[in-house]
Amino acid sequence: MAGPSWDTSRYLTLFGGEATEHLEALGKDVVALERGATVALVDSMFRHAHSVKGMASSMAFEGTAKLAHLLEDLLGTLRADVARADAAVADVILQTVDALGLHVKAAVASEPLPDHGALVTKLSELNAALAGKPPPVAPSAPTPTPVSQPEPARPVAAPGPSADASAPPRFSLKLKINPASNQPGVRGFLAYKRLSTLGNVFDLKPPLDDVKAGRVPQGTITLELESDQTEEAITRTMRTVADVELESISLLVKAAPPPPPSSESDPNRVVGQEPARTIRVRTEVMDQFLDQAGELLLATSRVRELTRSVPQAQRPALDEAVNRLHLLVKGLHDKVMEARMTPIAVITDRLPRAARDIARRRNREVELIITGEDIELDRAIVDELADPVLHLLRNAIDHGLETPEERKAGNKPPRGKVTIAVRRQRDRVVFELSDDGRGVDVERVKALVVERGLLTADHLQTLTERETLMLLCLPGFSTARDITDISGRGVGLDAVRRAVDQVGGTLEIETTPGRGTTFRLSLPLTVAVVNLLLVGVGDEVYGLPIGKVGGVVETARERLSMSQNAPVLQFGQSVLPVHELSALLEVPPDVQPPALVPFVVVDGDDGRLALAVDRLLGQREVVLKGLSKPLDLVAGLAGVTILGNGQPVFILDVARLVTA
Amino acid sequence: MRHVLFRLEKDRYALPLSAIREVVVAPESFTRVPRSPKAMKGVMNLRGRVVPVVDLRELLEVGPGPVGGPGRVVLLDRGRRELGLLISEVDGIESLEKIGPPAPRASLAVKGLARLGAIPVTVLDPDALDATVARAFTTK
Repeated sequence: MAGPSWDTSRYLTLFGGEATEHLEALGKDVVALERGATVALVDSMFRHAHSVKGMASSMAFEGTAKLAHLLEDLLGTLRADVARADAAVADVILQTVDALGLHVKAAVASEPLPDHGALVTKLSELNAALAGKPPPVAPSAPTPTPVSQPEPARPVAAPGPSADASAPPRFSLKLKINPASNQPGVRGFLAYKRLSTLGNVFDLKPPLDDVKAGRVPQGTITLELESDQTEEAITRTMRTVADVELESISLLVKAAPPPPPSSESDPNRVVGQEPARTIRVRTEVMDQFLDQAGELLLATSRVRELTRSVPQAQRPALDEAVNRLHLLVKGLHDKVMEARMTPIAVITDRLPRAARDIARRRNREVELIITGEDIELDRAIVDELADPVLHLLRNAIDHGLETPEERKAGNKPPRGKVTIAVRRQRDRVVFELSDDGRGVDVERVKALVVERGLLTADHLQTLTERETLMLLCLPGFSTARDITDISGRGVGLDAVRRAVDQVGGTLEIETTPGRGTTFRLSLPLTVAVVNLLLVGVGDEVYGLPIGKVGGVVETARERLSMSQNAPVLQFGQSVLPVHELSALLEVPPDVQPPALVPFVVVDGDDGRLALAVDRLLGQREVVLKGLSKPLDLVAGLAGVTILGNGQPVFILDVARLVTA
Repeated sequence: MRHVLFRLEKDRYALPLSAIREVVVAPESFTRVPRSPKAMKGVMNLRGRVVPVVDLRELLEVGPGPVGGPGRVVLLDRGRRELGLLISEVDGIESLEKIGPPAPRASLAVKGLARLGAIPVTVLDPDALDATVARAFTTK
């Protein structure tokens, strides 16, 4: 298959994905570099640059490979004296990372690669300058502290290049997962991932798939790690993995080195050498899996529904068969959902870099602390959140944090702090982004809302503090005194809220004047299965997401009070505006409306409201399907599902129903 | 080019065979689509897929009139999705080569007029049909 004519285009997507991952990791490392340069950090950067170089040259992107090569050289030089990695050097590295990013983008789009001649010169000059002062180190890969060991004779007559003397040393590790950990699988997998950033993992026992699934007997994992890190560095890294303890680590006497990078037909491929037993799957394929599994689930409910008309005598056997089918299909669906789970790190990994850039441009000093990034969510939710989270971060730095001078005047440390904390809470994931800045001026928010005619002063009176803060999310609302390049680009908090709603999450804001603001996103683990309250309007049935329903009141229409000529419903302490669902949806209601009308209380964009319906039809857990053209043009629909009787039912997006 | 011939009451229409995925008997009832234009008949469950169906008579604005009998739904192949067209009856597949200009004031979804013997056949354009549906939603 090798040869000059091999078609690389099939591998473009793969190249794009992998190279981007390396570049993102590199960007993250640069930010860490500015906080304090260590040899381990420069090594990590070196490895990423090296990987990009290798991938680019195998795809014959010479320009990209050259740029990566120069970066690798610079990092190699830097390794000799990491103290010289100052802000100026970091800037050049970041520029190179960005340039490489553009290359990768262009390559994937099959466009000509951009020219970065100036950068090439700059890199070479910087490298020469850095290498110039002390005696230059060998321009080869960073040589690890040499561990001199006699090379044992190889028992097997393996022809090929002489034993690879530069192969890094191997360690034998024994890990123990805390028996109290509620996610042994995740912990074990994380430990594996951390270790594999240090070098190559071999002989993992139990195998990775079992570790991921939490099948770890006695919580003990053994493995061998080939790494140029010191024992201390490995021990230190392992300390960062919660709930996993490094029980023992020892340097192995170099055994027979692995065979040289094999030609394809090498029959002696060492078994058990599994860098990672994972495969990359295109996301569309995963989406299709989920679609199909969801449809299987619906089809099974349909079969169950049909069995009800079968004569009683034949029922037991049939029921048993259907139950078994249902279990199998449910199992398959669960597995597909599991395979779609993605750690939130996919979006938080790029934030340190973004925070640095925003802070620089806005003359802020910021420290970003992220915890819980290993928590996993459905890929669709993670994708949907990428932009909103970045927006919240911009907001926090740009509007939340004060300038260093202002902070000093307010007796705060000059460097502001932004914390992102992700945690599991029962069947949801809570994502919190907090800053220790000036907080939101609630009175100012109120004044602006009235000034812009978004709400009347009377209406404001009825709002709780929490509801008042949510006004920040009204479309077109912004408290920014000036429109900045960073935060004033029209995508406001309303877009954040919309995205959170879209995935079935909720958004809450808390603020303390002078102390800071917290945005709290509560997200479902998966999007595909939603819990609905089914309601009837005329001949039609609609689903309201349970998460949005605050309660139901049954009362006669005549008993509603009136406020400014519009009916309102007394609900607990508050008075809610009433909407007829039939009018909102433009469908005819029952000709003979019920005497006692069910009013469903739901969360809208600016507070709660009540929807009058004809009938309540109970709760149902359903598989949500997305809307395709032209149904996606209808404002107020969140999706569609098929009930057990085969009837398609629309799921409503309550907030957009009343605003759009 | 081979076309599927069908009727809206007495009038004859045609669509390229390559644009059609299948033809099914219309269900007894459709789920109404909220806030949709008049031509939107509703959605139907086609073997687990939710397919939007338009009333072709309304879409082409060829005047009201009952679609006799249960009717048929022609499913246009739109890549990863489908668009259903509610019609009266399918007549068969015929080769239509010469397609003349459309009648004046015809819908934008009409590609032109062809003849099958002495019978005039209105040939529709699948892409334009799809665009007409989207426009009906946005200009409602």
